[in-house]
Amino acid sequence: MITFDHLSKAYNGVYAVDDLTFEIPAGEIFGLLGPNGAGKSTTILMLTGLIEPTAGRCLIDGVEVAKNPIAVKHRIGYMPEDVGFYTNLSAGENLDFFARLYGMDTAARNSRIDELLSLVNLDGVDKLVGGYSKGMRQRLGLAKALLNDPAVIILDEPTANLDPRGVADYRRIIRQMAAEGKTILVSSHILSEVSLVCSSIGVLSQGRLEARGTWKELTQTFDATRLEEVKILVETRDPMPEFSHPDLIAAEYTNENREAVITARSDIRDAIAETLRDEGVLIRQLSFDRTTIEESILSYYHSGEGQA
Amino acid sequence: MKSHGLPVIAHKELRDHFRSKKFLLIFGIFLIITIIGMATGVAEYTNNLEDYNDRQSVATDDIYPGGIGWGKPSIVTIYLGVSALIVTLGAILGIAMGFDLISKEKETKSLKILLSHPVYRDEVINGKALGGLMALAIALGITFIVTFAILLIAGIVPAGDELAKILVYGGAVFLMILSYFALSLFMSTIASDSGKALVYTLIVFVALMSLPMLINGPVMNIIIGDPPEFPQEAYMSDSAFGVVAVSSASDTPEKIIEEPNPIWEEYEREIDEYWKKRQSVTDIITLLSPTQNLEIISYTLLIPDYAAIMSSVSFRAVDDYELEDTDVFGIIIKNIIALLAFPALFLGCAYVRFMRMDIR
Repeated sequence: MITFDHLSKAYNGVYAVDDLTFEIPAGEIFGLLGPNGAGKSTTILMLTGLIEPTAGRCLIDGVEVAKNPIAVKHRIGYMPEDVGFYTNLSAGENLDFFARLYGMDTAARNSRIDELLSLVNLDGVDKLVGGYSKGMRQRLGLAKALLNDPAVIILDEPTANLDPRGVADYRRIIRQMAAEGKTILVSSHILSEVSLVCSSIGVLSQGRLEARGTWKELTQTFDATRLEEVKILVETRDPMPEFSHPDLIAAEYTNENREAVITARSDIRDAIAETLRDEGVLIRQLSFDRTTIEESILSYYHSGEGQA
Repeated sequence: MKSHGLPVIAHKELRDHFRSKKFLLIFGIFLIITIIGMATGVAEYTNNLEDYNDRQSVATDDIYPGGIGWGKPSIVTIYLGVSALIVTLGAILGIAMGFDLISKEKETKSLKILLSHPVYRDEVINGKALGGLMALAIALGITFIVTFAILLIAGIVPAGDELAKILVYGGAVFLMILSYFALSLFMSTIASDSGKALVYTLIVFVALMSLPMLINGPVMNIIIGDPPEFPQEAYMSDSAFGVVAVSSASDTPEKIIEEPNPIWEEYEREIDEYWKKRQSVTDIITLLSPTQNLEIISYTLLIPDYAAIMSSVSFRAVDDYELEDTDVFGIIIKNIIALLAFPALFLGCAYVRFMRMDIR
């Protein structure tokens, strides 16, 4: 269980995290969502004992981080956004070094490292980490975060550099860990990513927790009609006709009219579907551009309107 | 909960040093230069020993003048050929080992990862310092074993006092290199990247190397004042060389006696004080440079008569010096203390700076 108790952090008098108070129950995958500069990374740095709070405290399984950082660090696994390793060592050597810091014996280290490298599909990669791609480092970062079989896993922007296969692997591993009863905190600014893996979400804005609940609860609070404009992505098998609608603002056709981005004042997906059906054009995709909605939801909570 | 940080980090650092191409390259050059210097020194020592034996075998009633160069050559002089090169190359080795220890971790973001593990922050900086110190000790240990091997191959076995001098000299070399390692480690905690850390270290290195030379110029006169003016008047008069001839009126027949010229006497006293003051300032400034300290230690230990000459020869009485049996270790103790103080100071600064470093 993770507890934030009136946690605050100020840099030169400016609060990056301001009076944060909430709990994440054991076994939950909690998504900490917010735009860049919302205070997510600062919160995580305090949680991992890398910086000390200006006021308040945070606890992992009842142990206060600032007072007993070593005990807390034995319980957590952390993967930062810009995950860094020793470039002159191999993946196995890096993990071996970190495993030694947990006091693991040789046999335990070797078997755990083999297991984790296999889990993140890095087994058999025989080169120094200096030659790794960002995605490979991110995979190794996840393996490192699981090295000590932690009760609490903290992941900062875990999918930032991953390719689609890496993202799928990451989701599989996270769900597996949650099934094993581990508490997982995922920090991200990508709402879709958080909504897919997290059982509960907290929206952080200007260092404050603006909203908290399940993805369904949060989107229900957010009124879709608040959108001033929506972007609709259309993809068809055959070339599509050009659309006309009173609410249509703009339409951008590409790939010989097989793909289009429609900007409208309202949800005109039904009208688009009807037009395509009438023309006998097979629809491959007809959906909202999620990023537009994410931005709108975040900005909605950021404005304080949707405060929980 | 126990932390295993210090031994684990120190072990990794030690291994990293011996796997580093930069370290191995400089250490390799260091070792080659030492071997060449030792071979040259052994050849020179053998020649000197032969000359000495020749002088001893000649049956003559002539008394040798004694003094510098006439005694039995000392084995320690063999190390003299190595010492000059070791000073610069050793400093470079120390700098190369330390300048990116922290800055590189900042650049690669591995510091944040490391500190998220169950280690105390001081264990990280102490582990890095300990790993470097061990690597240095092993490197110098190998170097000195090689030098002893060369001596033994040449059939030269140092006596007890010579061995003591060689070991003290080795210790001083270790401390000098450690000083620059500690300096570069400190700069590594200050600088945002390794390039800047190296530049900062080189600036301080050059400043410490050249400080005594800079101070000995006009700056010295600003510190201690101008030297006393030469008494031209006394020099030009009959009383040249500092004595005046006076006649005694009471004695008959007239007798001439020599009495010291008071002007000349005053000048001698003033210039004596001036040089003493100058020497004191020079000594203090020399203590501020690790390389200068090592040079003094090596001259004192490796040149048999150096300490005696320095303690006996006055700047103006070069012709009446007497070689004294001087305690060389007593002379260099202040330099050894200075060489102990440098790493302690810089490692202390690195520790304080690292503990206050913002990890974000």
